[in-house]
Amino acid sequence: MSDPTAATGLPSPVPRSRHQRKLSNYLLDKNLQLRYILLVTLLSAVISGALGYMIYDQSRLASESIERDLQVLTVGDTSRQEFTSILAGKDQALVYEMVGLGLGLVVILSAYLVIMTHKVAGPLFKVSTYFEQMAEGRLGVVTPLRRGDMLQDFFGEFKAMHESLRARAQADVAALERATTALRDARGEADAAGRGKLDDALTALDQHVAGRKKQLA
Amino acid sequence: MKPGDRGYKRSWKNLLINKRYQLRFTLFMVGLSALLMVGLGAWVMSVADETTAVSKTSLRGDACPRLPAVGATPAGAEDEPALPAPSMKLDEPDGSAAAPAPGSAAPAANPVTPGSAAAPAADNVPRDATRGGVNRPALPGVGGRESPPEIDRHVKVQIDESSMTLTPTLPPDFADRVTAHWACELRQAATYERLERGRLRILWAMIATGIALVIGLALYGIKMTHRVAGPLFKVGLYLHKMRDGRFDKVYNLRKGDQLVDFYDQFKAAHGGIVAMQQDDIARIARVIAAADAAGLGQHPAVAELRELSARKEKSIE
Repeated sequence: MSDPTAATGLPSPVPRSRHQRKLSNYLLDKNLQLRYILLVTLLSAVISGALGYMIYDQSRLASESIERDLQVLTVGDTSRQEFTSILAGKDQALVYEMVGLGLGLVVILSAYLVIMTHKVAGPLFKVSTYFEQMAEGRLGVVTPLRRGDMLQDFFGEFKAMHESLRARAQADVAALERATTALRDARGEADAAGRGKLDDALTALDQHVAGRKKQLA
Repeated sequence: MKPGDRGYKRSWKNLLINKRYQLRFTLFMVGLSALLMVGLGAWVMSVADETTAVSKTSLRGDACPRLPAVGATPAGAEDEPALPAPSMKLDEPDGSAAAPAPGSAAPAANPVTPGSAAAPAADNVPRDATRGGVNRPALPGVGGRESPPEIDRHVKVQIDESSMTLTPTLPPDFADRVTAHWACELRQAATYERLERGRLRILWAMIATGIALVIGLALYGIKMTHRVAGPLFKVGLYLHKMRDGRFDKVYNLRKGDQLVDFYDQFKAAHGGIVAMQQDDIARIARVIAAADAAGLGQHPAVAELRELSARKEKSIE
């Protein structure tokens, strides 16, 4: 998964990495993703089980009729046992084939769902990381989603909002800087009694603006 | 209703809130499932057809005991028409000539084959039963190349004083054999039907399962994606407001919605932005107060600060 904090410009302990998918990150939102997968797995198991039972039943009928014929044809012959075991083996093989197909169905559908849900969970993870930064008042630069990710529309809305907030915050910082400079220039016109208090307030505002700038970097 | 809740209720009209995401997710899933079901179905039906064909073939090979003929030969003789035993000797003519079939009506008194050069039977001798009592003249000699004489096609029946008693004699196990025959026939027909029914049951089960799977997954997919798309839609509305500089109160999600953690993070982010605005307002207020105290309340910079503060206050109302 990408590291959105790396794109904010804030000091980062780790070097910025390429945004690549990793196998270990495929289950980003386990609750959301596993719920789909569990349902599809159960569904596949039920389908395979029911079909497997029916087809085994049909195959067993065929084997029984062949065994009946063999009873007549191979009276006092030892080959009957051999034929019977071959038929039983074929029936058993059918069961294994059905189990294998059922497992294949489960694996394919589950893998597909993990990938698809990851394409949803990925953008959500990225946006939630930006949300965490916003909660701390940090409004860094938003990097785009990876190719193939879902929720591109939603991410577009988020990005537009984030950029708007950032632009407004930058405008506010500029306005505060302008006001601070103007009031410092007008300090001479101020009453001597209120000058000290004004200096304190302007110093505090300077620090505040510096902090904001850092958050917007 | 909790204080943070608003009356947002689910409606089937709003199931497809985010069509692009929901349909893409669902249709891909349904398409893949349908593809897998078609493959599985083809394999299952090929196995079912094969096993059914084997069972039917085996069933066809099980011959039922034949119906006994009334007034026929003893038990067992009617099963197969008696064929002349082929001769094992090379110099012997065909067995048909050498050994007349048992039970046939060939006259034992006249073993000479028709068409041979032997003397024809006398006219006053009763005719062979095989010829239906037709009074036929003898066939011409060797090779039969001479033109056949005119055949008298009229039957001359001469009934002497005689009597004939028809007493049909049934074998003692006649009823049992008839019962056995029909019981076997019916059993075979039932097995045949059962096999075909089994095959059809698998086919219909496959079709029904496929349809149910597609419809079920489609509905489930839309419903589940709606539970994701719903919170995203709601967050999207707030994002629009935030983009326009409005930071209203954020309400809770509906019951059953997913992405609860994500939504909580959004609320925290929203709260963070609101806190930023409040912090800015507080700082600006202190500067304005200090400027007022210093007699710079009418300064254009202070007016600008007042305007900025008012805008920020309005945004968090």
